[in-house]
Amino acid sequence: MADTRQRIIEATYSCVARWGLAKTTVEDAAREANVSRATVYRYFPGGREELIHDVVAWEFLAFFLRLYQAIQGAASLEAVMELGIRFAHRSIREHEVLQRVMQTEPETLLPTLTLESNRIRQGIADFLLPYLYQHGLAEGVDPAQASDFLARMVLSYMASPGRWDLDDPVQVSQLVREELLAGVVVGPEPHGAPPC
Amino acid sequence: MSGQPARLRAVPSGAGVSSSSVPVVDRTPTHRVRIVDATLACMAHRGTTKTTVDDIARQAGISRATVYRVFPGGKVEILAAVVDTEMARLFSALGVRMGTADRLADVLVNGIVEAVTRVTTHPALGYLVEHEPDVVLRHLAFDESNQLLATATRFVAPFLARWMDPEESARVAEWSTRIVLSYCINPSSETDLTDPVQARRLIETFVLPGIRALQAPDRTAPIAIAAFAAERRPDRPNHPSDITPVKGDQP
Repeated sequence: MADTRQRIIEATYSCVARWGLAKTTVEDAAREANVSRATVYRYFPGGREELIHDVVAWEFLAFFLRLYQAIQGAASLEAVMELGIRFAHRSIREHEVLQRVMQTEPETLLPTLTLESNRIRQGIADFLLPYLYQHGLAEGVDPAQASDFLARMVLSYMASPGRWDLDDPVQVSQLVREELLAGVVVGPEPHGAPPC
Repeated sequence: MSGQPARLRAVPSGAGVSSSSVPVVDRTPTHRVRIVDATLACMAHRGTTKTTVDDIARQAGISRATVYRVFPGGKVEILAAVVDTEMARLFSALGVRMGTADRLADVLVNGIVEAVTRVTTHPALGYLVEHEPDVVLRHLAFDESNQLLATATRFVAPFLARWMDPEESARVAEWSTRIVLSYCINPSSETDLTDPVQARRLIETFVLPGIRALQAPDRTAPIAIAAFAAERRPDRPNHPSDITPVKGDQP
């Protein structure tokens, strides 16, 4: 049963890759998946809208699973964040379907992407938390707030590099070590206390 | 405008003010203001898609023909004027709040609180986020977002010039803009950045140490964080004393 749902999702993704979001219909998805229209509606009672939303969410999650795989070898908090930002930046640029849909029909894609990134933020924060503990937090830093803040920043740089060249490992290293983590994990002086 | 515009105020003699900067008597500016304000009012309860030029004309109390005379491009042109107006209002409020602060931490806290408060309580923007999110979100992702970051960075960076060099200012300005955008798009249940106390805590915990790190000696070379931490002495010469966390501001 779960296989059929998965097959419909993947078939729909193929259609989206070929024709874009707006032109993909339930009929297209059914034909591509070799199932009837009725079967598609059984799994996606909301019809086309639900199907498109679930396909975007599925590929979004797949993206972060690939990211998760890519940072498995990283041993430290710095390495995880640097590898993650660089991998995500490259993957987004090389994601042909994403780039094409962003050019032609961002309005269909973005509400779902925003909703899902709000959801994945907690996942990123949870993922970073053990690395924060392992590294040792600066005094006075709340672990939950720190991991949430870092997850927000990671997502921000992934979505828009701004002034940074995120293909350059030296720049990414400076971004992560000098800016993002400076207040979180290192604190030669106790936070908020006068130096002595 | 060609011909001899009637002047509202006399040009001070010898001041060298060009006539183009002198307000001129013309009905158009009044209509323009009324149309922009009426559009904002319409957007706050109907959004952009459902707001028509007729709605705008009715709300402004002028005829449809007058609307098109002032904005020949119709709704698209009006909406562009509305966006420009609201961006200018946001930036001028930010300028006042940041420009009057005497300490770096205050510049950042005032700017972030003002920006998040204005964005999250803006009636028209609020309607759009709720009902037509794509209209707003397309400016907040990927290439469009890079443009927004660049615009905000160019505006904010000079307010930081008292405390850091232009490259550092730009980095910190962009960083602060990212914080504002993140908390506006995805509000946090833990951290409310419309609250100056919470904003200050966030800035002092996460941003000021990053600025201190930026200003650490030898920062241009990629450096190991351990060596770098040892170097980061709070009492180093030229250390801006005002970016030391202020205990009295903790709740």
